[in-house]
Amino acid sequence: MAATTEEDEQGRAEERTGADERAGEPAPKPAPRQRGRGRIATAVSVFGELLITAGVILGLFVAYSLWWTNVIADREAKKQGNRVRDHWEAKGPGPIDTKDGIGFLHVPSMSGGEILVTKGTNPKTLNHGVAGYYTDPIKSALPEDDKGNFTLAAHRDGHGAKFHKIDKIDEGDPIVFESRDKWYVYKVYKTLPETSKYNVRVLDPIPKESGAKKADRYITLTTCTPVFTSNYRYVVWGKLERIEKVDNRRTPPRELS
Amino acid sequence: MYGWIWRHLPGNAWVKALLSLLLVLAVVYVLFQYVFPWAEPLLPFNDVTVDGQ
Repeated sequence: MAATTEEDEQGRAEERTGADERAGEPAPKPAPRQRGRGRIATAVSVFGELLITAGVILGLFVAYSLWWTNVIADREAKKQGNRVRDHWEAKGPGPIDTKDGIGFLHVPSMSGGEILVTKGTNPKTLNHGVAGYYTDPIKSALPEDDKGNFTLAAHRDGHGAKFHKIDKIDEGDPIVFESRDKWYVYKVYKTLPETSKYNVRVLDPIPKESGAKKADRYITLTTCTPVFTSNYRYVVWGKLERIEKVDNRRTPPRELS
Repeated sequence: MYGWIWRHLPGNAWVKALLSLLLVLAVVYVLFQYVFPWAEPLLPFNDVTVDGQ
């Protein structure tokens, strides 16, 4: 930094000399060697300023990724979530409607409140601060289906970071999915802290890697790991324990109170 | 570079400082609104799904 300032001053000094010459005042002619050094100094100072600029832009990008995208995504998720709840109120009980969000995920061990669940896992969907259920490469089952695997993905960092604390989920912890008229209470039975991003078998209707043997109603959460990167995937599996009907006051099941 | 901009801004030091601040804010706005959203999917920090590709 100090070097840059010094060079900057040299550059300015040179320019003042130039102005004097234009004004027609007899200025002492600087030696050519010095003039050359001034030009190099200017180039070095511009280069230094570009480096500083690059550093500031990278810093801003970090702020953007880890803070600003959360602000935007949380706002969007809240808007969409309110719309879903308004529709529920207007329509009354019924099967899951896949047009809007299909419901809310509550994971007490991750805290952070409810997570809206919508269809699809493409980046544009997930950037709205929601969890998406897979349609590709292996189609997810819905919680109301008799058998199958309800598979979800959400961001670990930025864009709402809804699965940021996925590593806080232990075996035996509850995962509750709230639909229009039912609470689906799942119990985590297996976590996989690191797997390849190509490991699509974790989404199988019977996820064998978790030790599951027979068809049942499973839930699978996936996100990236380690934090701030996408080198591997973190997977959490749960199995449906029971279903509770939603009452008039939407009293949550005891796992959430 | 920044010295050049400073010298070419009109007004006294206070006006220059104010204009510089506005320029900085404009640059930050363009970065957050257009450049970063464009650059982000090109960087490998935000893929959270498992897939076959």
